[in-house]
Amino acid sequence: MPLYEHSFRAMGCPCRLRLECDDGALAQAAIAAAEAEVRRLEEKYSRYLPDSLTTRINRNAGGEPVAIDPETAGLLGFAHTLWEQSDGRFDLTAGILRRAWDFRSGKLPSQVAIDRLLPLIGWQQVQWSADTIRLPQRGMEIDFGGCVKEYASDSAAGLLADHGIRRALVDLGGDIAVSGAACRASPWPVGIRHPRARGEALAGILLAAGGLASSGDYERCLIVEGRRYGHILNPATGWPVQGLVAVSVLAEQCLVAGGSATLAMLREEGAALAWLEELGLPWLAVDTRLGVHGRLGRSVT
Amino acid sequence: MSGRRIFVVITLLCLAACAPVQPWERGTLAKREMQWQPDAMEISLQAQINASKEASSGGMGAAGGGCGCN
Amino acid sequence: MASPQADRHPALLALTSSALLLPAYQGARADAPPEFTEIGVRYSNYKEDNTQGSKTFGGSSQRYDVDAAQFHLLAPVADDWAVAVDVQWEDMSGASPWFVGQSLDGSPKVVMSGASIEDTRTEVSVTTRYFYDRGSAGLNYVHSKEDDYDSNAVAVDGSFNSGDGLTTYSAALSASFDDIKPTQGSVPTNTLKADKDIRSAWVGVSRIVSKNAIVRFGLSYTYRDGFLTDPYKLRDQRPGRREEWALGGGYRQYFMWPDGALHADYRYFNDDWGVSSHTLELAWFQNLGYATQVIPFVRYYSQDEADFFANIADTDKRYYSEDYRLSSFGAFSGGLRLRQELGNWAVTAVGERYATDESWGLYSGEESPALVDYWRWSVGLDYTFR
Repeated sequence: MPLYEHSFRAMGCPCRLRLECDDGALAQAAIAAAEAEVRRLEEKYSRYLPDSLTTRINRNAGGEPVAIDPETAGLLGFAHTLWEQSDGRFDLTAGILRRAWDFRSGKLPSQVAIDRLLPLIGWQQVQWSADTIRLPQRGMEIDFGGCVKEYASDSAAGLLADHGIRRALVDLGGDIAVSGAACRASPWPVGIRHPRARGEALAGILLAAGGLASSGDYERCLIVEGRRYGHILNPATGWPVQGLVAVSVLAEQCLVAGGSATLAMLREEGAALAWLEELGLPWLAVDTRLGVHGRLGRSVT
Repeated sequence: MSGRRIFVVITLLCLAACAPVQPWERGTLAKREMQWQPDAMEISLQAQINASKEASSGGMGAAGGGCGCN
Repeated sequence: MASPQADRHPALLALTSSALLLPAYQGARADAPPEFTEIGVRYSNYKEDNTQGSKTFGGSSQRYDVDAAQFHLLAPVADDWAVAVDVQWEDMSGASPWFVGQSLDGSPKVVMSGASIEDTRTEVSVTTRYFYDRGSAGLNYVHSKEDDYDSNAVAVDGSFNSGDGLTTYSAALSASFDDIKPTQGSVPTNTLKADKDIRSAWVGVSRIVSKNAIVRFGLSYTYRDGFLTDPYKLRDQRPGRREEWALGGGYRQYFMWPDGALHADYRYFNDDWGVSSHTLELAWFQNLGYATQVIPFVRYYSQDEADFFANIADTDKRYYSEDYRLSSFGAFSGGLRLRQELGNWAVTAVGERYATDESWGLYSGEESPALVDYWRWSVGLDYTFR
């Protein structure tokens, strides 16, 4: 059966659609719909775009509540679950810490710069419901970056299936979802990126259903006086969590895989490994000494 | 059931209802085993057999058509 | 994907539950048409115990043995429409109580209809359902045909969710037009041709009480008008109308450990024939991994007799009946349902025992010698076109 591939750039990363289909016109229609879905979600949730909902919510911080739709309420709900499950370490309002942290500068931020930002962080302050959201203070910001890409992968993969495609893969910068019944018979080979060796695969797996998501500080970390500062920041202190370097998780949905990987990254190294083992999903993690843990994509022997 | 027990049950239900369940918290409620009627054929057969042996019906829907069995 | 144990981790359950509410994932929306077409078939048999020799004239007697086959189809037909078709065939044979007489020792004994009665019934039900943002509305037509009984019924129903989606209000109306034409031959009949009408209305409300629990209440009113007498019983003369009220309540609660759900349902019934009853049903849905469900269930039923019921009817009265179904009794039933999913297939099996006794009831009255017990079993196969 002919294989169709389509690459484009969205959500700040390379995106790739791959699918098998007998009917060329159908394949093109499905590809167009899937790309449009990714772009729709980017336009809706990107904090860089001036007309996005995220920008509107952030611009209204300290002002009027902003009306939201069920999809946004669902994403907020998912983010809320991550916040609960991480004891507050996953926080949709923590993105502003990047004003203090510049991982390319090679320098640590001053404590003063961090302390100035901390009062503007706190998901518990945000007033939200199924219909509206309001950030209580001027200067507060939310950033859906932590879950929209995974959600978009699932949604695009679902759209491909809705078009009748029986074997499809959506890869949005490493957040991968597959769909279609034929994946079970012919799973997609997928590589998990090595967090340090660019272009090298840490492991290869065959993806028959569900989604694979990875979280890690792929080359984005600071080493100052021999100490590593990863880009996963604790919103309570404004300083990096001394956790794992990279985590990949496989789940029924890419969104759940991504959430699980994020929750693991927010824990200290030892606790994170134990938690991943308990969680029961297939996983793979790289620790600070570049030791690899977990069974995902590696033979047990 | 005594009046007091009914009161306790109603109070418990009201207390539970006081904490609104957000839409994103309703995933469990969508599970098959949480449906009012997870198995339509089983429910309809059971209702029909019971109605042919007992003098009562109804309560959770309008009455259906009759049959010679009752 | 995930191993069965995985689902039990509270963090994973929380993530999955909240993720599935997003529009990109199907199956989590209450008021969405089914995503896939489902078909199912069931074969059931239930066999009434022979009436004990001590309770009949003419020794032990074989009562009904019923075979039932069911077919179910549920299909989405557009973004917001779905159609369901249900067909049921039944084939029954056996004897049924004809009248009750007094034995020499004074105890009542039942006289069964001598020859075995043979009857078949076919029922076809078609429902279309429209889904809107805050609920759904259905239109249903049912046709049932037997050798001696025809019924045509229509029903409409609708539901509406509150703004927060926590409360759902529902209502339904139905009308049934039935024709009775008793088969002549085995026993003399009380009519040659008659009809009856049924009108029914129902209102209900359900509410989400927690992340893991829902509750509902419903009230139905049913008015029957026409020939309500049993055409085959020797001494049976019932009023030409009947008004019934039923108040129902239901509760479902999910328990993360041990990954199961409790179903509790209660009904109080009352009518102007003097019948009232309590019904309590409990079931436990136990998940064993992703694919297996084991469901034990129990039911208790107790009814008071109709005002005009007597074991040996006084035919001088205006209304009278010896029908055991109008006597006072209690019934216990219980059984086990199993469901095993195999990819897109699901296999189901049910075994159930139903037993009655006058002394089990909450109401006191004359014990009918014709009370019935039965065994039932069902097997079924479902397929989802994923």
